[in-house]
Amino acid sequence: MAYKRDLGADELSECVQDFYQNLSDRLHTHFKGSSERVESVMDEVERYMMTRLYEEVFCPETTDDEKKDLAIQKRIRALHWVTIEMLCVPVDEEIPEVSDNVVKAITDVIEMDSKRVPRDKLTCITRCSKHIFNAINTTKKEAASADDFLPTLIYIVLKANPPRLQSNIQYITRFCNPSRLMSGEDGYYFTNLCCAVAFIEKLDGQSLNLSVEEFELYMSGQVSPQRPQAATSPACSAAFSQMNESLDLLTGLGVRQERVMEGARRLESDLIDWRDGVEHKVQDVLERFPLEMHPAASPTASSAIDADNVENDHLPSPLQPQLFAG
Amino acid sequence: MAAGGGAGNKTYSFKVVLLGEGCVGKTSLVLRYCENKFNDKHITTLQASFLTKKLNITGKRVNLAIWDTAGQERFHALGPIYYRDSNGAILVYDITDEDSFQKVKNWVKELRKMLGNEICLCIVGNKVDLEKERHVSVEEAEGYAESVGAKHYHTSAKLNKGIEELFLDLCKRMMETAQAEERAKGNGASQSTTSRRGVQIVDDDPQAATAAGGCCSSA
Repeated sequence: MAYKRDLGADELSECVQDFYQNLSDRLHTHFKGSSERVESVMDEVERYMMTRLYEEVFCPETTDDEKKDLAIQKRIRALHWVTIEMLCVPVDEEIPEVSDNVVKAITDVIEMDSKRVPRDKLTCITRCSKHIFNAINTTKKEAASADDFLPTLIYIVLKANPPRLQSNIQYITRFCNPSRLMSGEDGYYFTNLCCAVAFIEKLDGQSLNLSVEEFELYMSGQVSPQRPQAATSPACSAAFSQMNESLDLLTGLGVRQERVMEGARRLESDLIDWRDGVEHKVQDVLERFPLEMHPAASPTASSAIDADNVENDHLPSPLQPQLFAG
Repeated sequence: MAAGGGAGNKTYSFKVVLLGEGCVGKTSLVLRYCENKFNDKHITTLQASFLTKKLNITGKRVNLAIWDTAGQERFHALGPIYYRDSNGAILVYDITDEDSFQKVKNWVKELRKMLGNEICLCIVGNKVDLEKERHVSVEEAEGYAESVGAKHYHTSAKLNKGIEELFLDLCKRMMETAQAEERAKGNGASQSTTSRRGVQIVDDDPQAATAAGGCCSSA
């Protein structure tokens, strides 16, 4: 397909899909294969073709898939503060079996990126979904409905932040065998993943039962909600509690520093006031008692004290310090 | 995607979406239908969000895939992603809850806008075992269903009432729609169809012009 390198992603998809369609029609009509046989042949065809084509048609340069990947990745990072409670996820991570399933689900959805064949990618999503169902079942003790499943999947995607999420979704949509995507079980889970991504993109305060102000505070990182100690291992939870303690200390420190600053400012203004006050007083006094030059009654009167000291001349000259070389 | 299988002995594959608010009993309804379970304490069913059922209707094989959708208000905007390419929709409300019926009305409007008349709609009043606490009148519900070209059913997942009929009826209607579509295609009328790959199905038995015969497009 080297000569098709210049085609856009949609045309590439069209080519591959037409090929699938024609081949499957031929298999049905010419070889009179049963549905099951045709399907398994088509699976192998998809595997061979997409393994070979992967490099060229995954996240092609003609699309803005890569930009979208970065956008969703950034978005998920910005939403790190979303908790289980906000999403109403019916999963209790305190139960070891549940948290185990949550971790497995996260691993599976991340693993999707490492597969080349659309169908293998779908299998990863399906495995992830099964782990989610296990987690819900263990928590709730009843069959999971879509009302339980979708919030949990959203939570998993937020936690996992799967690499190249949009590229993978686009790739599957473009090159997967359509019969699998439209009605099969894999298709159902894939659709839910698309829903989760759409939800994350549009998510606002209202969809988490938060006010606009709260949402803005969380998004700007000024506030982070009290997380329950939902850690996967004791070491982790210890680290978390330590971190929380440090955070508390830091907050206390901030408050105290603020107080010190306040005191310093007050002292400064006090000093200024005091200086002004003193200046004012001095000015006042100077005004009240202006310097009056009394005409000297007799110029000799002032030097009268020394005048009587007639013996002055007879005093020895002051001692000069002398240096003796010892 | 009403295609699949060989020309003569073909299997229909239908996708049906299940819409309804949180506690109207969607899950109970499908679990009752697909596994004949209600409030089963021994959980053998892992999930009730995607279930399948194989049927045989007048000699034709039908594979039914039932897609549950998240009914919470905050997921409302995701609807179109779910019901894309679906052949039928089951809209469930709780007869003791007026709000849930209002929600159904919203969905019907949306579905008709997005998918036109190609989709078979069923409006289902569940929990008829709680008849005494009914808040949605039968006349209003049935009148509304008729006005939008949908069929109305009363069910009780608890008593296993009306559920079999609901799904059987829906399957028949979807088959009629699919057959009408195939005929239209056979005649070369290139209408926009749900399957984007223009499935070419050569239908051998010439079913005469009964296009409007009770299929869901005839309101």
